[in-house]
Amino acid sequence: MKTNQTSSGGGLAAFVGELDALSLAATEAFGSASDAASLEVARVEFLGAKAGRLKSAQQGLGKVDKGDKPAAGKRFNEVKQTVEAAFSAAQERLAKAAKPHAASAFDVTVPGRPLRLGRLHPVTHTIADMKDIMGRLGFTAVEGPEIEDEWHNFEALNIPRTHPARDPLDNFYLAAARSAAPKGAAPQPAAVQGAAGAASGGPPPLLLRSQTSTVQIRVMESTPPPVRIISLGRVYRPDTADATHYPMFHQIEGLLVDRGVTMADLKSVLRLFCQSYFGAGEVHIRFRPSFFPFTEPSVEVDMSWQNGWMEMGGAGMVDPHVLRAVGYDPEEVTGFAFGLGVERVCMRQHGITDIRALYENDVRFLSQF
Amino acid sequence: MHMIVSLDWLQEYVNLPARPAELADRLALSGLNHECFDEQAIDLEVTSNRPDCLGHIGVAREIAVLWSQSLRVPEAQPLASGEPAEKLTHVDLQAPQLCPRYTARVIRGVKVGPSPAWLADRLRTLGVAVINNVVDVTNYVMFECGQPLHAFDFAKLQGRRIVVRESKPGEKFTAINHQEYELAAGTCVIADAERAVALAGVMGGADTEVSEATVDVLIESAQFDPLSVRTTARRHNLHSPSSYRFERGADPEGVDWASRRACELILQLAGGVLAHGSVDAGSPREQPPTIKLRFDQIPRVLGIAVPDDDVRRILAALGCQETHVCGHCVKVTPPSWRADITREIDLIEEVARIYGYDKIPEDTNVKMAASTRTRQDRALSRVRETLVAAGFYEAMTLSAVDEQWVDAIRPWTDAAPLQTSMPILRRADSLRQTLVPSLLAARRHNEKLSNRVIELFEIANVYLPIEGALPQQKRLLALTSGSGFLEVKGVVEALVRRVAPAAVLGVGEVDYPLLESTRQCRLRLGDHPLGYLGELSDAGRDRFELRGSTTVAEIDLEILVAAANLTPSAQPLSPYPPVGRDVNIVVDEAVRWAAVEQLVRAGGGELLEAVEYQETYRDRNRLGTGRKSLLFSFELRSSSGTLTSEEADAIRDRIVELLSRQLSAELRA
Repeated sequence: MKTNQTSSGGGLAAFVGELDALSLAATEAFGSASDAASLEVARVEFLGAKAGRLKSAQQGLGKVDKGDKPAAGKRFNEVKQTVEAAFSAAQERLAKAAKPHAASAFDVTVPGRPLRLGRLHPVTHTIADMKDIMGRLGFTAVEGPEIEDEWHNFEALNIPRTHPARDPLDNFYLAAARSAAPKGAAPQPAAVQGAAGAASGGPPPLLLRSQTSTVQIRVMESTPPPVRIISLGRVYRPDTADATHYPMFHQIEGLLVDRGVTMADLKSVLRLFCQSYFGAGEVHIRFRPSFFPFTEPSVEVDMSWQNGWMEMGGAGMVDPHVLRAVGYDPEEVTGFAFGLGVERVCMRQHGITDIRALYENDVRFLSQF
Repeated sequence: MHMIVSLDWLQEYVNLPARPAELADRLALSGLNHECFDEQAIDLEVTSNRPDCLGHIGVAREIAVLWSQSLRVPEAQPLASGEPAEKLTHVDLQAPQLCPRYTARVIRGVKVGPSPAWLADRLRTLGVAVINNVVDVTNYVMFECGQPLHAFDFAKLQGRRIVVRESKPGEKFTAINHQEYELAAGTCVIADAERAVALAGVMGGADTEVSEATVDVLIESAQFDPLSVRTTARRHNLHSPSSYRFERGADPEGVDWASRRACELILQLAGGVLAHGSVDAGSPREQPPTIKLRFDQIPRVLGIAVPDDDVRRILAALGCQETHVCGHCVKVTPPSWRADITREIDLIEEVARIYGYDKIPEDTNVKMAASTRTRQDRALSRVRETLVAAGFYEAMTLSAVDEQWVDAIRPWTDAAPLQTSMPILRRADSLRQTLVPSLLAARRHNEKLSNRVIELFEIANVYLPIEGALPQQKRLLALTSGSGFLEVKGVVEALVRRVAPAAVLGVGEVDYPLLESTRQCRLRLGDHPLGYLGELSDAGRDRFELRGSTTVAEIDLEILVAAANLTPSAQPLSPYPPVGRDVNIVVDEAVRWAAVEQLVRAGGGELLEAVEYQETYRDRNRLGTGRKSLLFSFELRSSSGTLTSEEADAIRDRIVELLSRQLSAELRA
């Protein structure tokens, strides 16, 4: 009995040592249980109600000296909690691991419910970007009629009747056949009288506008200077449709008329526009002399691009004839105008190689933008 | 217009820079752009205002100005040892308005044969066919100075005379291409005593062309009215280097020089004796006006100052005669070959392009200005955003359609469509009055490509004729979808809520054969017609060769934009919870939801926050024939307190009572 006493009876230290060993063994056994069965074996061993090791340890409590009892009891309860916690942790761990094999699994890799968003046409994107940039530069966007009279499409733009641009084969004139006007009706307005080939009698001829400068004329006719606008929209020219031509396309034209507007202003506005539109890197603008009836001087505009020059469009100072035609005094104001083909910029930006794709409306094409 | 210049040829008039690339680049920056160049030639693009550069001398003059070189122009003084020209021939100028000036020289006893290699090579470099020494000389001189010439076999001219006149009715003419043309009235022809022998400025005739057998030649050098030449060339589809130059206007002072130069070369290459002098009909050019250039206008337009001396030097080098200069201005007479220079601004352009556009800065302080977006612009952005969110792709289609589509559906006008005098593309010559046929064509195209989801919209104009005025240009939105009436109606409702939240969308009756008779309606916004909506009928699908079911809608955007509220005011929100009730009623088939909703709103009063249609249920056994059950729910909310269940029940009972009284509805348990 002496031996017994020494080993387990009465001594607090011995009791605590036994408890610590038990706690360690139980934590390890629960932690290493790989399935429900082995966990159950471990549970019976340590937490079994009748012969579990914790139960036996509890019996050892009675042999502790009376004065040490509160400390020993406290210690016992701590160990009991630790062991029980290790068991439920193991239970939880095994439950989690078992889950995929149990109920049919939720597969998070399956695609989400489709949300079908539409797309805007690439030309709309390009126009919106251009309008946005020109808006920041103080130019207000305006629109006007696509079907025009000869005054706005030609005369006021300094394109006289003899000019090759007015050839009926180079424009989409409206057919007069459907006009109900009687023959020999009111005489032609002065604007359409002229040399050989002028239509005789009937209402003044109308045509699909060949440029959006027509809108600039309309704005200047109804607004005193200063004028600071961009006009944009569809224009029409008889071209056989191929990869780079289409008989209908979009133009954007800028106009600034005020006191003291110079070609240096034109160059500067174009540089700011190109810099904003094409972004990164320093952009420079180059002018090459050209000829347009409604500007003088007239230039082709190039922009520095990848160690070379890229053609942007035409520009110039508004011709004094045009200013006079809308009732402005060329001695008072000067102005500049420039025009860009929207499709050309759009195609270059998106790597579109055939202009016809823009009007074919294949949804596979449209879904790319 | 392209003008190929031979570098070997140019050197005759001016010293060239060592490298062709340097020459081509500098010319491009001063107004003569190029397509391409090599060691032999540059292919120049000449703008229509610069006919002087349609000859080598004109291009050489530009080079001389740019590199400050001197220009060497041949004197062209042929030895005229024959009898006076006016004893040999006569020019009767009957159409001075079409031909302001006509000169003829006669050379007798030429030996027609092949041209020497130097001349033939130069023409070949330009891509011009080589024919014989006399014809080649006329071409050579045209490409030298830009003045077209023509050589007639003098012996074949009836009466040995030239008559310049308008063509006679039904007059026929055989050109050197051996095709016969019936001439339109008013065509300017060169005739002899009997018949037309050339289309003035366009093409010579077969009967009088110079051949190996020719002994005597008459050299024509003349001025023709540009519009007349263009009309003739167009009408007979005969475009030539000659017509091209006359259309743009040749140098009036160059007429006689070109004639002398051609005779000089013919004597040199084909021999013969030149008659003394020329027969010269018509009036010489009016003296060009003097143009004043105020020095202060240069910075006013260009934004940079150019020293007065540079201005004067540039103008003089270009051939302007200075008649006055002071500290304020310079006055000049422009050269005869520059008909494009008539005003001060033209002189400013000349100074700018020679002085160099590269000197104009690109970093001036441009004035700031506010810009505004129009209401329409902002409203249309919302329309586009909404349709994109609804899954629609934006399409762009041609503004005209094939005439056969015009009557497919005519919602906006009954007037005949405006038509272009030639189709814009393929058979599309009718300016459209609705966007729907174009979108249906796009839909068919996508079906043919086996694209499954085809949801398209377009925002574009239609053109409604107005007698005696520009047509009304109406901005429409059209959409086409593969889903049904109610889905597309939902899109339209969402669109109206987004753009014009206060506007009330209503429907009305309409009957378009393109659409299924029971599944189409007119759309109204408040009191205004907004458009229409419907599923395609079988006939409509057949007409557009569509396989899948299709719904379309079209909306007048002016109405929607007018009703748009782009800056809505925030409404106070009630802090109290809503109370909802579900109702299931049985009504006759004839009763429409709109009538039910109206009564629910009336019965609910100001506490009613929302009414939601749930479903329609039909069951002959349970409900009886001709009856249907409507299930709906509504929500009530007060701004002053939490509604009790009793209050909500009372309102529901009131609604049910209204429905029962006015629509004979029965409450279904």
